[in-house]
Amino acid sequence: MAVRALTTRGDKQRRLFWACLAAPGIIWLTLLFIVPFYTVLAIAAGRLNELFGTPIAVWNPLHWSAANLQAAWREISGSSAFLGPIILRTLFYTAAAAILCLVIGYPAAYFVARFGGRRKALFLVLLIAPFWISYMMRMLAWVDLLQTNGYVNQALLNLHLIGHPIGWLSGQSVTVILGLVYGYIPYLILVLYAGLDRIDPALIEAGRDLGLNRAQAFRRVTLPLSRQPIMTAMLITVLPMLGDYFTNQLMSGATNTSMIGNVINQQLSTPLFQGVGAVLSVMMLLVLIIPMIWYVIATNRTTRDAA
Amino acid sequence: MHPREGWTEDRRELVTRRGFLRQSAGAGLLLGGAGSLLAACGEAGTAGTSGSASGVLPLPRPGNPVTWPIHKGNHAIKSGLAPETGATLKVYNWVAYINQAVVNSFAKKYNCKVQVSTFNTMDEALAKIHSGQVSFDVFMGVTIDVLGPLIAQKFIQPLNHSYLPNITQAWPDFQNPFYDGKWRYTVPYTIYTTGMSWRKDHVPENPYRMTNPWAMPWQPKYKGKVAILDDYRESISLGLMKNGVFNLNTTSASQIQASGQALQNLASLTNVQINNNDYTQIPAGQVWIHHAWSGDMAAAESYMPKGVPVEVVGYWFPPDGKGPVGNDLNTVLRTAANPVLAHLFLNYLLDAHNALNNISWNGYMQPLNEITPQRLVKEQILPPSLMSTAVLPSFFRRGVMELQIPLTTNLLWHQAWQAASKGV
Repeated sequence: MAVRALTTRGDKQRRLFWACLAAPGIIWLTLLFIVPFYTVLAIAAGRLNELFGTPIAVWNPLHWSAANLQAAWREISGSSAFLGPIILRTLFYTAAAAILCLVIGYPAAYFVARFGGRRKALFLVLLIAPFWISYMMRMLAWVDLLQTNGYVNQALLNLHLIGHPIGWLSGQSVTVILGLVYGYIPYLILVLYAGLDRIDPALIEAGRDLGLNRAQAFRRVTLPLSRQPIMTAMLITVLPMLGDYFTNQLMSGATNTSMIGNVINQQLSTPLFQGVGAVLSVMMLLVLIIPMIWYVIATNRTTRDAA
Repeated sequence: MHPREGWTEDRRELVTRRGFLRQSAGAGLLLGGAGSLLAACGEAGTAGTSGSASGVLPLPRPGNPVTWPIHKGNHAIKSGLAPETGATLKVYNWVAYINQAVVNSFAKKYNCKVQVSTFNTMDEALAKIHSGQVSFDVFMGVTIDVLGPLIAQKFIQPLNHSYLPNITQAWPDFQNPFYDGKWRYTVPYTIYTTGMSWRKDHVPENPYRMTNPWAMPWQPKYKGKVAILDDYRESISLGLMKNGVFNLNTTSASQIQASGQALQNLASLTNVQINNNDYTQIPAGQVWIHHAWSGDMAAAESYMPKGVPVEVVGYWFPPDGKGPVGNDLNTVLRTAANPVLAHLFLNYLLDAHNALNNISWNGYMQPLNEITPQRLVKEQILPPSLMSTAVLPSFFRRGVMELQIPLTTNLLWHQAWQAASKGV
């Protein structure tokens, strides 16, 4: 009895210890996610100060209004709707950029994980290097490179690949997509590397012992085992890409390449439209939750299967 | 880098000094205090001469001037006070909108320190002022649109004219402007026009010879080389003027929608870029036709690539002065800890010598009698080829101004702009 009592007390203390340890994180999350999110909801479902056109947050859900929701819906499907092509463009840009990230990033991560050897640390440092410079500065560097008289055009002209300078920054979809790839690929490579590095080499060797050649071993052993890291990496890359507005603003600034993030950003910086912008933000969040849920389900299934 | 707004790393992202208000149309400071505003307007003895379309605040117009009331508890400082000693004058201004050399010379003359804090958008500035978390003495670069609410909420104090003798150096129009009768609360800071900038070496069309120069950007042959200002009032106004409408405060839904539609057509014709980088993109040749501000283009010479003469840059504004004209104001905050120094600072900036020093760095003209286009050229502040960026007193009288508009109209303007700009 005494032993059991001691064990129970020990369990309680351990639980308390871990709860205390988790408390700062939970408080942090509460303050930085739940409270701001509820504020966004209160503005989305709030009213407009009819005197000055500023949003008024309504904190009591019983008094929430659907006016902003209706206004946002009119932008999506009403007679004056203009968001449809922008949403489709955002999906296309994100899909294209994500696929390019994967095509470029997977071999890089695979190489470091499998063949990095003693230089793994060096490769990792090189992979992380872009994070030492802010995203904005990296994009501004590209702005300089891609200017009409920038190095990219000069190099292409010198190689006689083009006859006259290309206006890379004048509303070109390809520039925005490549900008997204450049901006987000380090995240994908790092996550992929972490996953690929955990693949037991013995499993690949076993495949080779059973008669698979290199390509077959990759296709039948490595690739299936990479599915989880690929999903995680894609999720981490795609989610911020969908809400990105900065890349387009810097690399194009033209209306024919605008993304949904640009519209939300503009609305949130216009007091009259902050309520509608808040609605679009919530809608965006709800859309982004779908792949998150899918990811959680898929991860649980994989864990269960592995067990 | 433009002397006014180039001090952030993100040159393309920056919201310009004037862009702020076009975005908020004076709404930003009004985070609360509607009650006090209504109360304030209730006391207004002399305001309200112009019919208030918004129902509360008078809307100043050249034909409908407004003299704002002196509110209870917000009186001008007494005359004859000595400047505060050992003080630090706190100035709140747009990023890079004043020459530090001018600030330093003021500090030296009055044996004080001057601390300049900056903002990038008026929303940001007004929100800070409204929160009461900051205590500035001077609020610079205020636009006409926000003046009424600033006064009604007692954020700025009436000026004691005895400290501001240099007002006599200002154009006569600014000694009793329609937006602030008897210049009770403001003195002028800068003045500018909005026109069309182009690269003469790439664009053979000369707007001075065009039937409708406001339609200059609508040329598909310059696809990818056309840009308009990222400013909903300016760009919807461009569409209006292209369509022959020169009431830039129009409340007509059909006119506003037609303007928005014209801008959408422009986007499909030219892949139009939307930004406020007129001062860098035209000199660099990234864009050949840019809807532009005069003060920005006056500074074009600083941004010309090596070997490219500034003469290739052109700036058009209607020679008869019938185009968009705007001006920014300087004010003293009600909570100023150093109100005497604040007045003296405003006065200092109204001196032609100091103004020239400021313009040489800032680019934007100040509406002072001695600041003439000829003098700017003579002092080598303005290249002769860009004389058209200079603003004349007659422009202020004949020009069209983008002023405060009623909320419902503002909504229409914004909607048209959102559909045209698509968030860019």
